[in-house]
Parts: sequence; C-alpha cells; structure tokens
Amino acid sequence: MASLTVLRLRSTDLALIERQLRVKIAQLPHLFLDAPVLVDLGALGDGAAALVFGDLVRALRSCKLVPVAVANVPDGLRGAVTDAGLGVWQPPALGRTRGGGSPDAADAPAAETPAPEAQATETASADVALPTGPSAAVAPPRAPHAGPMVVSKPVRGGQIVYAQNNDLVVLAPVNSGAQVIADGHVHIYAPLRGRAVAGAQGLAGARIFCQKLEAELVAISGAYIMAEEIPAQFHGRAVQIFLEGGECRIAAL
Amino acid sequence: MSKVVVITSGKGGVGKTTTSANIATGIAQQGKKTVAIDFDVGLRNLDLVMGCERRVVYDFVNVIRNEAKLQQALIRDKRVENLYILPASQTRDKDALDPEGVGRVIEELKQMGFEYIICDSPAGIEKGAQMAMYFADEAIVVTNPEVSSVRDSDRVLGLLAAKTSRAELGGPAIRTHLLLTRYSPLMVKRGEMLSVGDVLELLGIPLLGVIPESKAVLQSSNKGAPAILDETTDVAQAYLDVVFRYLGQERQHRFIEEEKRSFLGRLFG
Ligand SMILES: Nc1ncnc2c1ncn2[C@@H]1O[C@H](COP(=O)(O)OP(=O)(O)OP(=O)(O)O)[C@@H](O)[C@H]1O
Ligand SMILES: [Mg+2]
Repeated sequence: MASLTVLRLRSTDLALIERQLRVKIAQLPHLFLDAPVLVDLGALGDGAAALVFGDLVRALRSCKLVPVAVANVPDGLRGAVTDAGLGVWQPPALGRTRGGGSPDAADAPAAETPAPEAQATETASADVALPTGPSAAVAPPRAPHAGPMVVSKPVRGGQIVYAQNNDLVVLAPVNSGAQVIADGHVHIYAPLRGRAVAGAQGLAGARIFCQKLEAELVAISGAYIMAEEIPAQFHGRAVQIFLEGGECRIAAL
Repeated sequence: MSKVVVITSGKGGVGKTTTSANIATGIAQQGKKTVAIDFDVGLRNLDLVMGCERRVVYDFVNVIRNEAKLQQALIRDKRVENLYILPASQTRDKDALDPEGVGRVIEELKQMGFEYIICDSPAGIEKGAQMAMYFADEAIVVTNPEVSSVRDSDRVLGLLAAKTSRAELGGPAIRTHLLLTRYSPLMVKRGEMLSVGDVLELLGIPLLGVIPESKAVLQSSNKGAPAILDETTDVAQAYLDVVFRYLGQERQHRFIEEEKRSFLGRLFG
C-alpha cells in the first residue's frame, strides 16, 4: 500500500514551519528524508489564503521533503495549489480535521495513526503524521517468512538502507553519513560508523547488534543515543542496543 | 576496447585535475590513444595544467550543442603522441552538460579509437560530478589523508554504485581504485594526517597508489607541463608507478615510508 507523510499546517508562517520541521527531521531523519508529503490545510480554515504555495514548496524541499499534494484545499485556492505544481487531494482521502488531532485511521487510508514519537514531538505550527505500514484491517495476508534483508556491500555516506517489515543484516561497514533502518532488528557484522535505527515503526523489542560501535546515532522505536552520549567503554566494542524503560541501553556482547 | 575512467573525489582541491593530467599523459606515453575530458564547466583547469590553454578554440559544450565538431574541439598534445584534450567551457551555465550530449560525445570518442577516456570531474557530488561519472567503466577516487576528504570519497563511492549508467542498467559494478594524494609520511607520523592503513580501512577499496605532497606539482602546473614528464621528481615517479600499476604491471608501493614495511608489507607483500 502506498503511504504518505501528512503535514498538517497550523500556521502560515513559513519560517516557523521550516524551523520546527528541521528539528523534527533531525530527530528522525530516516523517516523524512526525500519523503513524499501531503500538506493538509484543514486546520488553517480561512487562514490558508495567506499561504504562498511556491514558497511553501521551496521551504519543504529545502528540508529534503517532497511535497506532492494538498488536502482540504478551499475552492478559491485550487489554482494557486496547482500552479505550484502540487496536486489537489480529494476527499474522502482525508476527512475534515477534528480539533487538530491526528488523522483518523478509519477514513484516512493515506495516513494512519501516527507513530508514538510523532505525537510526542508535535510542534506548534505543524504536526506530522508518519507513514505507516498497512493497517491490520487492510494488511495483505502475511507472506511466508522470506528471511531478513541482507546487504553485503558497504553502506556509504549518503546511502539509506531500509528493511521494511523486516530484520536487516549488514555484512560490511556502515560508514559515516550512512543510515541503516529496519522495522525489526538490525545486525551489523562490521563497524557501525553511521546511523542505525531498529524498530522504526515502533517495535519496542527490536535490537541493534554490531561488531564495532563507532556510530553517529543509534535509535530504537524513537528513542535514540547520539555519538557523544555513547559511554567510552563501548567505543569500538561489539555491542547490542535495546530499549529498557523507554530508553536506549547499550551492553557489550 | 575503450575504457572510460572518471577521476573523482567529492571534496575540492584534492588533486583530481593534477591526477587526470598526469595519468592521461602517462598512459599516452605507453602508446595508448588517450583523451582527457575536462568536466569542470565554468572553471577550465585541465588545459592550463596541460599547457594548451592558448590553443582552445572550441570546447566540450560547443560540441554538445552542435556548435562545433568533435575534431575541431579536440586539442592534440604537442609533447606526447596519442594524447588529446577536450577542454571545458567557460560558460556559466551549469546545466550545459546533459546525459544525452555527454553520452554522444563519449560514443564518438570510442568510435575514433580512443582506448582511454579520462574524465576530470568537478568537485562536489551534485550534477556536474554525477555527469562526469555517469558513463564510467572505472573510477579513480582521489583522496587526501584527512577525515573530510575520506568522507566525501565515501559518498562518491556510494554514487558510483547507484547513480551511473552501469548501476541503472544493472551492468557490472564500476571498478574503483583509491589514489591517496598529497601524502606526507612525516605528518602521518606526527598524527596530523590519516595513514594509508586508516584510509584503506575506512573506504575498503583497493589502493592504486600514493602520491607524495610535493612542490614539484605546483611548479609543473605553472609551467603547463604535467609533473610526470620530469622523471627526476618523486611525484613523477609516483604517477609513473600508478600508470604502470593501472596498466597491469606489478609495482611495489612507495612514498609511504614508515608504513611501508609494516602495514602494506602485510597487505601487498
Ligand atoms: N601531490 C601534490 N603535492 C602538492 N600539491 C598538490 C599535489 N596535488 C595537487 N596539488 C595542488 O593542489 C591544488 C589542487 O589541485 P588540483 O587542481 O589538481 O585539484 P582538484 O581536485 O582538481 O581541484 P578542484 O576540485 O578545484 O577541481 C593545486 O594547487 C595543486 O598544485
Ligand atoms: Mg579540478
């Protein structure tokens, strides 16, 4: 099923929106980088007329998001939206918003219940519903176990590897500036110098295993540890990382 | 059989143009018909380093825009037989190079019997650099022994594996070679530079050679004569080794000093 990140605007102040987005993206870059975005105007009401869509597109693109369409477009603004190269998203894709809450899974196939971290970091100008996998109701029957995703070449700076609904096994270094992400566990049988994210869709039991910890960031289900917070005794060591009491813990292997 | 070789790095000023000029000259000296293409649109450096700037009439962009024939734009080197230069344009238009045009020129060079087509990439990882690498069969990744250069090289290696014609058509992977330039064993010893071993561990690709830091490079580019032409200098010796190694001969790695016996002895000995 296709999934879209929904950006619900609650302000037309582009500088504010951009600033808050950058904070959010810095927290969970893997979920936002180059993500297609549906902009929802539902919470702006008549205020939406103040938006300059061309500038909005530029602001989102500068955050490495890819705006594709706009939902809840007042009739008078359709032209402005399409002039900016965006599509007009038709109901029933997104119902009218209810008091600024999250989109409702029942009538919003594009954006289901946001992952916990998205709610927790809701910002003043916009909130973001992360794309999620198929919901229970529409999930296709589970395929027979296909085994984890296996990567045997180095993951280089700027590259992102994402094992959706799966574990990820990496047999070569994950270099600085690279990201490896799995909805399940992440195993790296080589140095981890970049970023690793396990349980990307919220699986709290997911773990990261790596042979040599030199990471820039490790995250499990939204909780993360930055390089400078990694205790010295684990640097360069074989470790596992897991959630305990909602926080990331590191233990030697 | 023609080989398209991109000289690339990510980071600027690490020695790509110097390397392109020296390797192209060295390969041509071995009797192989060679052309060096300057992809650094807007800057034009390669013709200066190779001492033919006064002979530039038409350039790469003119050929792509059908304003000149390829034969009119190619400059034949006065010193070395079999060596040609296709200079960059000084246009400010960064989009002057497009994949169709570049592909057409490279195809025509192959038809003309060029065995080695050396592409001198601009710095960065954006469009210009991607254009220079797009049709490559092999890549020489030029890296200085410092962290920022190594990181950029790593990113470039990622692009070589994903954003090239070979990658897109699912062909065999581009062969990649590491060339460590501006290497100073003394600074490595003092801990001010990464060692060959450090860089190899981080990038994990085969070492083509080590080029020492040397004043001879600047002197030779001021003269417009690639350093490799004066065999008395250490840089010339280093680039000659690289050329022979690249053409398939065994050569001991040199100019690493301290490191030589310990680390490389183990790796290559
Ligand atoms: N081995 C070396 N020893 C000393 N100086 C060097 C060496 N190699 C290159 N240089 C100097 O470094 C500078 C940059 O070299 P060069 O132009 O070849 O780099 P480049 O990677 O092509 O740069 P750009 O990214 O701007 O195209 C020049 O001044 C050159 O003389
Ligand atoms: Mg250059």
